[in-house]
Amino acid sequence: MEPLKVIVTGPVGAGKSTLIRTLSETEVVDTDAAATEAIGKATTTVALDHGTLHLDGHLLHLFGTPGQERFDFMWEILSQGALGILLLVRADRPDKLPAARNILDFVRSRAPVPYVVGVTHLDRPKVWRPEEVALFFGTPLEQVVGFDPRDPAEAARPLARLLELIGT
Amino acid sequence: MKEERKKMSKQEQLQNLLGKLRAALPELREIIVASADGLPIAQLGESEIATRLAAMAATAHGLGKRIATTTHLGDLMEIVVRGNQAYFIAYAIGDKGILGLTTPAGSNLGLVRLEAQEYAKRLAELL
Ligand SMILES: Nc1nc2c(ncn2[C@@H]2O[C@H](COP(=O)(O)OP(=O)(O)OP(=O)(O)O)[C@@H](O)[C@H]2O)c(=O)[nH]1
Ligand SMILES: [Mg+2]
Repeated sequence: MEPLKVIVTGPVGAGKSTLIRTLSETEVVDTDAAATEAIGKATTTVALDHGTLHLDGHLLHLFGTPGQERFDFMWEILSQGALGILLLVRADRPDKLPAARNILDFVRSRAPVPYVVGVTHLDRPKVWRPEEVALFFGTPLEQVVGFDPRDPAEAARPLARLLELIGT
Repeated sequence: MKEERKKMSKQEQLQNLLGKLRAALPELREIIVASADGLPIAQLGESEIATRLAAMAATAHGLGKRIATTTHLGDLMEIVVRGNQAYFIAYAIGDKGILGLTTPAGSNLGLVRLEAQEYAKRLAELL
């Protein structure tokens, strides 16, 4: 089975590391370090997350990026050879959508491959619905999936959609 | 004298320590102190690359720690990136941050290692 490389990216706190921890069938490589700034959580990814998952007859290798812009060299490194992009954004932080778009543009300029926007934190108050997020990115609604990366029953949904788009 | 020491800000004390490290190893080029999450805390050298180097030092160190655990190397002691003209070397400052150095290819690495580890210890007390 050809392994399929997917890059999981998006701004700080979107749930990239959480998603890979929820889904991986192999021991996760995670590189979180204590956050010294107030980012709403204790740790932040400084290098990458890595996990693997069998889904719909494919072996996925998930590479999570850091979300902070100072680690943009990792966006570049991890983009190499990616066959799909999963961009995660927080529904309750529309102020971070421009940063998310910046990351998406950056990664797509290196890896012009299909992408899905995963919308997290939909259980929080005052959220943007997936339709609104789709409008912001100018992305067809079928490429935008609302889900909770903490929930094993839902976490694979955006990746299943991504596989359909990749069409392998 | 003691009073004066006390009055020095943490930043001045950091700068002071880095200056002493540079005096002990004059061939060092960049000297940076970064937080474990990649923010620059102090530096001697070119300021434009220091910010980037701080982020990269945190990445290299974070990844190095995982390589060390995955391959059962024990605790991570140092990260070395060897170019044909110079080295980048990084040491953990306890669990508080990272000391990163660049030094030319002909440097006495044994000496660099000894001094850098000693200064990492002193920096840990300060941070
Ligand atoms: N309420 C709620 N919390 C969520 C949801 N998804 C993720 N979280 C929480 O949000 C946080 C996300 O943190 P991480 O997974 O570290 O985020 P990240 O995207 O890896 O962030 P960086 O590595 O710092 O860029 C965690 O505390 C999750 O438990 C969600 O859908 N709803
Ligand atoms: Mg993360």
